[in-house]
Amino acid sequence: MFGLKRRPPPPTLSSFAVDMAHAMLQARATKALAKAPAAAVETATHVRRTGSNRQDAWLLHGAAALLGGSVFADSGVEHYRGDFQNRAMFLPLIVSACSIAASLHGATTRKHGSHRMRDAAYAAAGLTGIVGTGFHLYNVTKEPGGLSWLNLFYSAPIGAPAALSLSGMMGFMAERVREAPAGTEPQLLGLRTSRVLAALTGLGLFGTVGEAGLLHFRGAFHNPAMLLPVTMPPVAAALMLEAAVSPPRKRHRWSRIWLAVTAILGVGGVGFHAYGVSRAMGGWKNWRQNVVDGPPLPAPPSFAGLALGGLAALRLIERHRR
Amino acid sequence: MNERYPGYDVLDKRFTQSWNEKTREVVDKRLSVHPGPRFFTAEEWPVVQAICGRILPQPSDRPPVPLPAYVDLKLHEDRQEGYRYAGVPEEREAWRRGIAALQAEASDRHRGSFADLPAAEQDALLHAMQRDELKNPAWGDMPPALFFSKRVIPDITNAYYAHPTAWSEIGFGGPASPRGYVRMDFNKRDPWEAAEAHPGGEEKARRENRRIV
Amino acid sequence: MSEIDEGPRATGNQAPDVFKVGAWVPMRQFREDEAVDFVIVGTGAGGGTLACRLAEKGFSVVAMDAGAYYRPLEDFASDEEEQSKLYWTDQRLVDGDNPLKMGANNSGKAVGGSTVHYAMVSLRFRPEWFKARSTLGYGVDWPLDWREMWGYYAQAERALTISGPVTYPWGPKRPRYPYRPHELNAVGKVLARGCEAMGYKWSPTPLATVSAPHGESPPCVYRGFCRIGCSTNAKQSALTVWLPRALKAGAEIRDLAMVGRIETDARGLATGVHYHRNGQWRFQRAKNVVVAGYAIETPRLLLASANERFPDGLANSSGAVGRYLMTQSNQGVWGQMDDEVRWNKGPPSLAMTEHWNYEDRKDFFGGYCWMSQGPLPQEWASVQTGSRGLWGEELRREMELYNHQVGVKMVGEMLPVETNRVTLADEVDQYGLRVARVTYSWTDNDKALIAHALDQMEQNLLAGGARKTFRQEDDTNHLNGTARMGDDPRTSVVNADCRSWDIPNLWVCDGSVFPTVGGVNPSLTIQAIALRTADRIETLAKRGEL
Repeated sequence: MFGLKRRPPPPTLSSFAVDMAHAMLQARATKALAKAPAAAVETATHVRRTGSNRQDAWLLHGAAALLGGSVFADSGVEHYRGDFQNRAMFLPLIVSACSIAASLHGATTRKHGSHRMRDAAYAAAGLTGIVGTGFHLYNVTKEPGGLSWLNLFYSAPIGAPAALSLSGMMGFMAERVREAPAGTEPQLLGLRTSRVLAALTGLGLFGTVGEAGLLHFRGAFHNPAMLLPVTMPPVAAALMLEAAVSPPRKRHRWSRIWLAVTAILGVGGVGFHAYGVSRAMGGWKNWRQNVVDGPPLPAPPSFAGLALGGLAALRLIERHRR
Repeated sequence: MNERYPGYDVLDKRFTQSWNEKTREVVDKRLSVHPGPRFFTAEEWPVVQAICGRILPQPSDRPPVPLPAYVDLKLHEDRQEGYRYAGVPEEREAWRRGIAALQAEASDRHRGSFADLPAAEQDALLHAMQRDELKNPAWGDMPPALFFSKRVIPDITNAYYAHPTAWSEIGFGGPASPRGYVRMDFNKRDPWEAAEAHPGGEEKARRENRRIV
Repeated sequence: MSEIDEGPRATGNQAPDVFKVGAWVPMRQFREDEAVDFVIVGTGAGGGTLACRLAEKGFSVVAMDAGAYYRPLEDFASDEEEQSKLYWTDQRLVDGDNPLKMGANNSGKAVGGSTVHYAMVSLRFRPEWFKARSTLGYGVDWPLDWREMWGYYAQAERALTISGPVTYPWGPKRPRYPYRPHELNAVGKVLARGCEAMGYKWSPTPLATVSAPHGESPPCVYRGFCRIGCSTNAKQSALTVWLPRALKAGAEIRDLAMVGRIETDARGLATGVHYHRNGQWRFQRAKNVVVAGYAIETPRLLLASANERFPDGLANSSGAVGRYLMTQSNQGVWGQMDDEVRWNKGPPSLAMTEHWNYEDRKDFFGGYCWMSQGPLPQEWASVQTGSRGLWGEELRREMELYNHQVGVKMVGEMLPVETNRVTLADEVDQYGLRVARVTYSWTDNDKALIAHALDQMEQNLLAGGARKTFRQEDDTNHLNGTARMGDDPRTSVVNADCRSWDIPNLWVCDGSVFPTVGGVNPSLTIQAIALRTADRIETLAKRGEL
């Protein structure tokens, strides 16, 4: 009845995530039905009407929340290291928190359609990311040596604020998907949202790969596992770019698999980084140094966030192929 | 007592990640130094105390670093520097002779013990030693300036700046292992480093320094 | 001064595991009456490296060190006073016009030698220095070719996992350093800014401390006590790199073993060494003896081993043993900033410039580099008292500016002079061995180079934003020469293979073999030479020419 039943999910981990999302939506709808029959009928109708869109939006809100969470924790630690010397260094914390809040609201609210406050939060995230990139670039170039490897390694990370923009854009897409009439695909600047989203995910993944690559190069790839985030996600990124431009297919099987791999890496990366912290002098006992100086625990989940966004893109493409 | 780093005491970090067991052991030992004298004689002792008091005068509002005790300990253990200028006797003999010569100079000039001279007279004698201007035969072939720069100064200043009180005074982070430092740039301090009082900010620095762990 | 009280640790078929508290690694042991292939005197940059490579090539090796076998994690304190246990503080006499300061900094007495407390600066020679006489017109030529050395440098850099810049701005192409450079601290940025204002290139310093985990070494935590021993094992030294490998390959290391004399037989060959351990004199037989005691102890041992057949000391038919001692000028310029600098954070020499090593438009011979500094309190006090003559209230006030201080120090080339030398004094040490007398005077060229460098460094600090600068005009550091290598037995002690001309089974492998000293820290070159020597010994052995 939610459309998914018509299409049995393939045995991949990404579809597992979709199943989970689906089950949660279903459970909530059922609960609502039991509680208040009249309202429930309305809700059920509404869900039927916009169900698929809602799941897509749910995924996109998830993507926005994960990316926002990663930025929140990462910029929190890094800007704490920088003593919040500039007031603007609080900005990504506040804005990413708003983006997370908007996403949680969007993912849990029963109301369909977009919301002005959420849109505002996402727009702020998108803009803050751009401004932040400028700040970071300035920070790098004012150091002796300018745009050098040394400053790319140790000054403000140029790529990091982009994750906040990505969070905002994922949320923005979620809003556009939500407000589109059931069974239709929203358009963005005359382009199909699904394609724009696929391209965005692909580029975002490439950017994140670049960031991970830079920092893992700084770590001299001392552990072979450090090669994973620069070898696996690029495949997913390329497949997403391919999906953005090629004729739609019924099922982007390989793209989904690689997105799943990317998502797993994003979650598993936290574990690897936690191991990295334990290997530093003093290990976890010396957490006040090693959590700040060691491999960043909150960084890898941005891969997972982007993978969710990519999944949403694929679902949209698959459903709205004409 | 500590104007630049008010309330900062490097010993507050003794049981944090900044100190390893070995460091605790050697600093504890240093803090419980034998009061002396074991090497110096009862006659030499007040002179050593007077010299230490002039080379590194200490504020009266805090427990002093027992400098004479450290000089005495070094000589008692006969710890060597690893080299000696040809013509300068080794550590123990140099101190013995140097003190005797200084007493002779004090007696020549002021008819009293170096230890009993007013601070200004003591300083004048020490300056003369530094400039190699002392000529009493008691110096023998040991140049007073070399005794001053190679024995008196290093033995006393090394003792002082090996003491936690001195580390706190200059805002030095002190022992750092296993925990080192994170913030390397200008005007950046880790929460476990001494906070410096900027004009008008003494209370703020004091508060920060109380939180150092 | 807590020496290791329990006596030698490397006994009973085990040696300390330097990476774990209280742990041991197995160690092969050799009998004293059985001649081992090589007995090596000293386990520092030269001896430690050679012991490792020879053992890995299958030779039987016993390496002796007069110092203790420390486990950094449990034996090293964050304390200057305590860590002076790492220095060679046995008595030495110094004289000449510019007597050398010994003890702290320039020599070590511990298994691992001076590399246990070196500043980890790992630079290659400028290629021309290997032919200083023919290409630059001073000193003498080395019997080595820089292209061959380039390969050994790379090998040493890999073994030591050097953390260095992605591209090094001076000299011929070299492979990328194994690990990335360390972050600059504030005082490093002062040097960098100053260089940019002067139009000079600068670089993050290639350092032998890891910027990321490696093996059992955690990444450097920037505690800044590097020069009194690294208590985290981030430092890559003979103690943590070469000797663990040597043990694994079957070498034996004897700690607290002071070699006092090399024995030779009627044929004029070395037969082994007399050494003092556990309170008694003992004798280890060996087919080859390698002396690797650094530029003071090496000539001291060779001279002290004089006998009827070699009345002037071993390997000394040229008379060059103990001569051509070269230190390196280590003058500095210091200044203050309004900013908080806290220069003790991080390794002491994070940024550097080799500008005047590669620029020949100057009116003196030789080159120099300079590096940012971050002395600990005792050392900083010694600069204030030594260079400015401060004491009393004034000293205490100046010391309070510790966290605002900045500074740079040079490593400058000094010319080889026959009269700068190591001889034996009449007085004896605790083992009853005659102590070394070290005689040193600067040449006019040395003085010109130092004056030039002081001006340059002062400009650098001022351009970098410092004020109230002052000069430290009297410091020196590394020691080289005294058993120099060459092509001519009449003027050198050893050949290019570090093999003595006079006694074919007596070798010298440390900084003593340097014919000239160059304007960079010598440890990487010492290790590269040791790597080459090991390869040459292997080749010679295969040819039956040992």
